[in-house]
Amino acid sequence: MSLLEIGGLVGGYGPVDILAGIDLTVEAGEILTVAGTNGAGKSTLAKAVMGLLPRAAGRIAFEGRDILGEPVEARLGLGIAYVPQVGNVFPSLSVVENLQVVAGVSDARGRIAELLAAFPALAERRRARAGSLSGGERQQLAFARALMARPRLMILDEPTAALAPARVAESFARIRGLPALGVSVLMVEQRARQALAISDRGCILDGGRVAMLGPAAGLLADDRAAALYLGQVGEAGA
Amino acid sequence: MFGALLVAGIVHGLIIGLAAMAVTLVFGIARFPNAAAGDTMTAGAYAGFLAHRATGSLALAGGAAVVAAGAVSLLGYLLVFRPLARRPVASLLVAAIGVAFLIRAVLGLMFGHQQQVFQVPLAWPIEVMGLRIPPMDITLAAVAGVSLAAAFGVLYLTSIGRQMRAVADDPDLARVSGIRPVRVMVALWLLAGAAAGIAGLMLGVKTVVSPEMGWEGLLSAFAAAILGGIGSPVGAVLAGLLLGVAQEVSTPYVGFTYKIALAFAVMLAVLLLRPRGLLGRVEEVR
Ligand SMILES: Nc1ncnc2c1ncn2[C@@H]1O[C@H](COP(=O)(O)OP(=O)(O)OP(=O)(O)O)[C@@H](O)[C@H]1O
Ligand SMILES: [Mg+2]
Repeated sequence: MSLLEIGGLVGGYGPVDILAGIDLTVEAGEILTVAGTNGAGKSTLAKAVMGLLPRAAGRIAFEGRDILGEPVEARLGLGIAYVPQVGNVFPSLSVVENLQVVAGVSDARGRIAELLAAFPALAERRRARAGSLSGGERQQLAFARALMARPRLMILDEPTAALAPARVAESFARIRGLPALGVSVLMVEQRARQALAISDRGCILDGGRVAMLGPAAGLLADDRAAALYLGQVGEAGA
Repeated sequence: MFGALLVAGIVHGLIIGLAAMAVTLVFGIARFPNAAAGDTMTAGAYAGFLAHRATGSLALAGGAAVVAAGAVSLLGYLLVFRPLARRPVASLLVAAIGVAFLIRAVLGLMFGHQQQVFQVPLAWPIEVMGLRIPPMDITLAAVAGVSLAAAFGVLYLTSIGRQMRAVADDPDLARVSGIRPVRVMVALWLLAGAAAGIAGLMLGVKTVVSPEMGWEGLLSAFAAAILGGIGSPVGAVLAGLLLGVAQEVSTPYVGFTYKIALAFAVMLAVLLLRPRGLLGRVEEVR
């Protein structure tokens, strides 16, 4: 049984279907990258899995259980976490408050201690307002906030988009470490080559449909994928 | 003379500050200008007046003001603002003006339109550091101080307060952090109502209780909320104090009629020089 199973998923913000029938799975312990051109529906797919899309139909199952009709709160409770593309920390709250504010965490105190140990840069700035953190620290806080509720699946929307180029590699290294903590990853990324390099599988969306899907190494080696979706080899940021 | 006006200004400023806090909290979290805040004050003032007439205790009057204004505020949310939650700000503002008129009309029907005066015992001013301060001003300042401490305690030291600040920062992120919006809104309206209730009680003691008192005080509360930086409770209180003191201290120079105009001149000057207000934060570019 896959951790996450998406079948025939359609939906959007209004009457127009942005997602036009998506079939996709995320296996336990894997990192899956979703790539594709601007406006392909990548963020929309991420929102649909979290329960944030105003209209969705088809099938989304988490650990075998249909969650399509479940509200955000229930999906959080089942072990899905989401780091949005922008606005992923509470800027006027302190670092510690950003973690404390996450609801429904058992032994929150112990969990905060664990996460501060895992992210030493945050521990050093625990009383600082999140709005005053550097881009790299902010992203660590966004990850720590999402990890508070001990999720089994983390949805990352463009985790490296707001980072300085020098911080990108360490960010991907951090994501690479998530499966070892028992967290599978569904990652939307513009930096498709670098993302695929740390992923088990990749999926390319085009016009709200899955255009290509397969092992990450295969996609990286595929001429058609490279030509249409991944940018030139060595292109900065591609 | 100046000292006495300063003291009067501080008490007046605390009243404006509490009312502005109610306005700014609602603006920061529910995201619309709550024009019913003034009449929520009035409801608190009447409840406090009745409790004081019955018991003679200002503490009990404060309790009654908090309970009544909190209840009025929560009812406004449950019956009007919650059903309209996703509407444009202009609709919510108009709805709030409607709620304000409704509260005023009900109070007018229940208690009539004649002015009521708190029967407080006359007492000699107390001398503090060369200033002659009426004991009632000290009592009122203490009431305001305790109320502000309680409100800031809720906001900054409790879990629900943290959740309120999180929703003010980013409601979408709050949602995916498992924060339940309705719980936060209930807490918000209770807290804002309680602050308005205490402000109304204090205003009633200092002046007179009438159905129009809160509506007339609303503009100052809005001015202080804007001046303090919209959404900033600390800023609202500081700006309230600034406006209150500016109004009182300027009275001998500009006269009673123009003191409010002067306060607004101060506000305009600050806004022109510092558009985000005293403590407001720059809207983050998203
Ligand atoms: N909140 C919204 N309301 C209405 N339409 C939206 C909304 N968000 C996105 N869309 C539309 O849905 C389509 C897909 O957008 P989406 O954000 O999923 O693309 P994306 O693949 O994440 O692109 P990008 O690489 O730019 O982030 C676009 O046509 C976009 O205009
Ligand atoms: Mg996107």
